[in-house]
Amino acid sequence: MKAPRMIDISIVSGVFLGFGGVLLAYLGNPANSGICVSCFVENVAGALQLHDNMRMSYLRPELMGFVLGSFLFALVTGRFRVRGGSSPLLRFFMGFFIIVGCAVFIGCPIKMFLRLAAGDLTAVAATLGLIFGIWVGVRYIKGGFVLGGEKEMPRLQGFVVPLFAVVLLMSLLLDLSFIRLGQKGPAAMHAPLPVSLLMAMVIGALAQRSGLCVTGGIRNYILAREKTLLNGLLTAFFVAVVFSLVLGQFSLGMNAQPASHLSHGWTFLAMALVGLGSILIDGCPFRQLIKAGQGDVDAGVATLGMLIGGALVYVWFIGSSSGGPTFQGKIAVLVGLIFSIGAAMAYRKRGGNGP
Amino acid sequence: MDWLDRLSVAAIGTFVLVTVGMLANQEILKRRRHNPGSEAKEAGGSYALQMGADKKIYEAVNALKEQGLYAEAIAKLEGIVESYPDKSLSYVYLAEVLDKQGKLGDAIHTYRRAVEMDPDYVDERTPVFIGDDIKAAVEEGREKFGREKGLKPDDEDVKRALGDVYYLQRRLAGGCE
Repeated sequence: MKAPRMIDISIVSGVFLGFGGVLLAYLGNPANSGICVSCFVENVAGALQLHDNMRMSYLRPELMGFVLGSFLFALVTGRFRVRGGSSPLLRFFMGFFIIVGCAVFIGCPIKMFLRLAAGDLTAVAATLGLIFGIWVGVRYIKGGFVLGGEKEMPRLQGFVVPLFAVVLLMSLLLDLSFIRLGQKGPAAMHAPLPVSLLMAMVIGALAQRSGLCVTGGIRNYILAREKTLLNGLLTAFFVAVVFSLVLGQFSLGMNAQPASHLSHGWTFLAMALVGLGSILIDGCPFRQLIKAGQGDVDAGVATLGMLIGGALVYVWFIGSSSGGPTFQGKIAVLVGLIFSIGAAMAYRKRGGNGP
Repeated sequence: MDWLDRLSVAAIGTFVLVTVGMLANQEILKRRRHNPGSEAKEAGGSYALQMGADKKIYEAVNALKEQGLYAEAIAKLEGIVESYPDKSLSYVYLAEVLDKQGKLGDAIHTYRRAVEMDPDYVDERTPVFIGDDIKAAVEEGREKFGREKGLKPDDEDVKRALGDVYYLQRRLAGGCE
């Protein structure tokens, strides 16, 4: 009886993720970016003045909603467990490089699905790259890769990220002086705050319960032919396709797609980096937020790495534009792949010897 | 709880109160000084100021354009580009003149340059939005160069023009960029 119930909750999570992703874009978020963890992390970094691109500076309530939805649900259901201490620095840098990969593609794995669901065929190369990266990660897992070292931590540490989310949310609601909100470009495009927050909290709670994760779903299938999370992802995709069609957000093709480019090779490599990095730290950017909310201190460290990544992709001109990836972006992807593969090799247990 | 714990809790409580008090005070002062809509007015004022200055710089170009003296207008614009290399508006004017001359590919390429320099040209929220003009040129270009690509699939100029058309289409479509 237990397995069918897990499948159900995974599918319900998928329904909300797909529906929410399209609805929030329809209600005002940038096109195809109803939910995009990497874009939103970049926005938050700008709002905190970690970069100076005003067009990308806004405190996206969706991010706070994911964390707080997960946190509250975990707390109420007794699933709030504070653990950590597993290679925090490596997770920090992996979080950073995952955002680098997302910035070169222009979107996180969830946005990749939403772009595909809206008919954006440039996301096909991204999907193939992500699957390839996950497949490589699974090879390393089968070859003995394990970060390990995770242990119980003082309970207080589990509250740090949710508390940070509350502070950010209050800063947005009270419009505090140290927050900078852009008045044009994507920063000025947002769905009504209560809708964004509520939808994100529901998705966060459901994802906490189901463990929904883009890379995790594909990994489980490649590793053990286990389809629970994959079914949730496929549900999210098909629900997004249906609502994109219903709400007039669907446009099939490659050339006129919002925030996209035609450098498919770099898209493939960038998302391969995201796939591999996410497998090594056990979760896509969305999953890191959910885990940080449920008391996973390591995921909190990865989230901080993502935030710094969200700032530096602008400061160092790593992010792509409609014109394609920048030189810096290409180099950053290559460095990220070197880092990820190096880490995967270093943490392999060979013949019983740990890293 | 021993004396050190009690002292720590008291210190934390005090600091929290002082911090909240200071923040609230600062926000109250800010709101008293704040004139509703002042930020928008400020931004609008900055645009208006810029547009006023631009009007002077491009006065001669406008006059030449209206008289149909396109070659002279282009020569004048080239001079302005040299004097003010960061002024994206020069490229908007240049694109308009090139379009009038029937050089659609060059016009689209020049629009691209303007948008790369200042994305506000395709942002409806700004007073410098010229998305409709760009869209018209792009639609025309898509049809023209799409047709030409069928006839000359290896022509580099056609490829470049189509690349510019697609770039502007993506920018006009919006998105998180």
